[in-house]
Amino acid sequence: MYETDKEIPMSRKNSKSVAATLTTATCALLGTTSTTPVNAQEEDEWELDTALLYYNEDGNRVQDISFKMLANRNFVDDRVLSLSLGVDSLTGATPIGAIPFAGPQTFTSPSGNQVRTTPPGEIPLDPSFLDTRVALTANWQQPLGRLSSFNAGLSASSEYDYLHLGANFKLSRDFNKRNTTVSMGLAFAADELDPVGGAPMPLTPMLDVDDLSNRMGNQNKDVMDVVLGVSQIINQNLIMQFNYSFSSSDGYLNDPYKIVSLVDPVTGDPVPRIPSPGVDGPSHEYRFESRPGERTKHSLFGQAKYYMNGKVLDASYRYMTDDWDIDSHTVDVRFRWPIGDRSYLEPHFRYYTQTHANFYRTSLDSSLPLPSYASADYRLGEFDAITLGLKYGWKTESGNEWSARLEAYSADGSVPANLLIGSNQGGLEMYPDLDAIIAQFSYSFGW
Amino acid sequence: MGSPCEVLLETDSESSAAAVAGSVSTEAWRIEDKFSRYLPDNIVHRINNSGGAPVEVDDETANLIDFAATLYEMSDGRFDITSGVLREAWNFDGSDNVPADSEVDRILERVGWSRVKWNRPELILAAGMQIDLGGIAKEYAVDKAASEAAAETDDACLVNFGGDLVATKAPTRSKGWQVGIDALDQAQGLPQKLIRLQNGGLATSGDARRFLLKDGIRYGHILDPTTGWPVQNAPRSITVAADTCTQAGMLATLAMLEGKGAETFLADQDCKYWCYR
Repeated sequence: MYETDKEIPMSRKNSKSVAATLTTATCALLGTTSTTPVNAQEEDEWELDTALLYYNEDGNRVQDISFKMLANRNFVDDRVLSLSLGVDSLTGATPIGAIPFAGPQTFTSPSGNQVRTTPPGEIPLDPSFLDTRVALTANWQQPLGRLSSFNAGLSASSEYDYLHLGANFKLSRDFNKRNTTVSMGLAFAADELDPVGGAPMPLTPMLDVDDLSNRMGNQNKDVMDVVLGVSQIINQNLIMQFNYSFSSSDGYLNDPYKIVSLVDPVTGDPVPRIPSPGVDGPSHEYRFESRPGERTKHSLFGQAKYYMNGKVLDASYRYMTDDWDIDSHTVDVRFRWPIGDRSYLEPHFRYYTQTHANFYRTSLDSSLPLPSYASADYRLGEFDAITLGLKYGWKTESGNEWSARLEAYSADGSVPANLLIGSNQGGLEMYPDLDAIIAQFSYSFGW
Repeated sequence: MGSPCEVLLETDSESSAAAVAGSVSTEAWRIEDKFSRYLPDNIVHRINNSGGAPVEVDDETANLIDFAATLYEMSDGRFDITSGVLREAWNFDGSDNVPADSEVDRILERVGWSRVKWNRPELILAAGMQIDLGGIAKEYAVDKAASEAAAETDDACLVNFGGDLVATKAPTRSKGWQVGIDALDQAQGLPQKLIRLQNGGLATSGDARRFLLKDGIRYGHILDPTTGWPVQNAPRSITVAADTCTQAGMLATLAMLEGKGAETFLADQDCKYWCYR
């Protein structure tokens, strides 16, 4: 019989047994009987955030299903590459600006090749609203020395009648032992509109089917934004952020599918119109909207994030004013309430209010000369909106995060009495109120 | 410990932070005072100056010596706490100062754990020989200090002595402690790899700045005590993750001694490792 194998010296050929022997020897050395197994991984190179969002407006108006993905590649020296993709699928109908009326109203479609009729008393909608939008962004962030960083990005989005191209830059610098960060951002966008049937000339009438004589070719719009920001750590529980932003747009700022009703000064009813013999056409007089070719906005934004024992209160306020005389106020409050170590609930409240643009008209008096600018777009009207929502998020063992969010949005507009014309408009729903729900599922993970 | 030492703690309590920092530094200094070969009047100094007379050692020292003896066996004599005297011939200062064979052979006569008489708790070291526990003591100190910290607090804590480290548990506010492995190109100053450590030990062996270069041959600073010469084809840096810092450090050192077989050795150990050549 040979000797037992304990006599054979351990050799490199038996290197598999090294770890086991070492574990025993280490336990003897440290005087421990067991240890927690090591848990170490290489940091994920990519962080991915994905979201599926469902948005639905009451009354068969707009419905949007969108998918968004954001991928961040973190390099070890604080350089970050961010890429995002968004795909939206929009269907449904949207108000076209014409006022409701006791009788039926017939409109030529945006393409100019058919008509459709809105039943009496209903707010006229464009039911051919259908679009798929694809948006891409790429961003590069890079430290400049120890205290500064630089950010540059490109964006592009495309839908069947709209193309957006944009570029953005941002510089930021830390001061005051990194308690203060000052930043300056610049963004440029060059957008091209190619509306169905061509962009209508502002204030020209809606014409009979197949008459495209008032349509123009592609239109352009340029936007420049400047943002100046300061963020300040107040103490270990509170961080505040203040921004001033300036935005200047010029070019074709109209919505090519929006019209304004021409009405009788006494009754306030739409002025009837007779299409040319043998062709379909609008039943009443409508004018395509006309907005100024420039718009300048200023806004001030303040935000506070307050951390208290695991809970986070995030409150912000924005004031915006522009040279179309729209002033808006937004208050947004979120409160993150942890439930155990892994999950949280986050109620959300948002209140928004705006005044109407100085050229906002629900209808135009047919006895008066046309104004230079007029739009009945409800988004330029006076309204308040409230959003109430709740989000639930939870983290998996491996640190990935799921969240589900459900929100209700309700916008309630009002038309000032001085914009109502004649005797019959008072009893009509001149402003299309809007109720919508938003549902979102998100998943964030490393890769 | 010959390197910057730090302890990171996730806590809202200043007194808890002070208590943990206190117990970690007390333990680090205790081990340094007791086992540093640079300090007079400690147990290592007494052994190295015993002139061949028997020295009786305390339990902790005996445990370290037992551990070293096990490693000596496991490594076929290439992990040897008596190999420190080879530094008389080798100074890895980036020069071409490679010693002569005869000089190395002469020193090798004073190297070899097999020549030591170890009969716990009594050690007899021949005159002229020296022991150096530096290859074990730093990792050992990290593990001991981390267990002191864990006894002091339930909060997540990371003990880091010159890049050898232990995390007691993951911080609650992040997915883990982020540890960077240094780039080989030190001028760049950026980590080569980011590792997320939730708990356990992480240790690195290798120092790309310590070498000799002669006649186009690069001599890395890992010495094989069985030959007295640097291990050939040793990786420039090996980082290992293991349950304890001691295991991680020893696996990294043993892998270094394997030279070109380092990766094969590490793969056999079924551990997470990052090996750079």
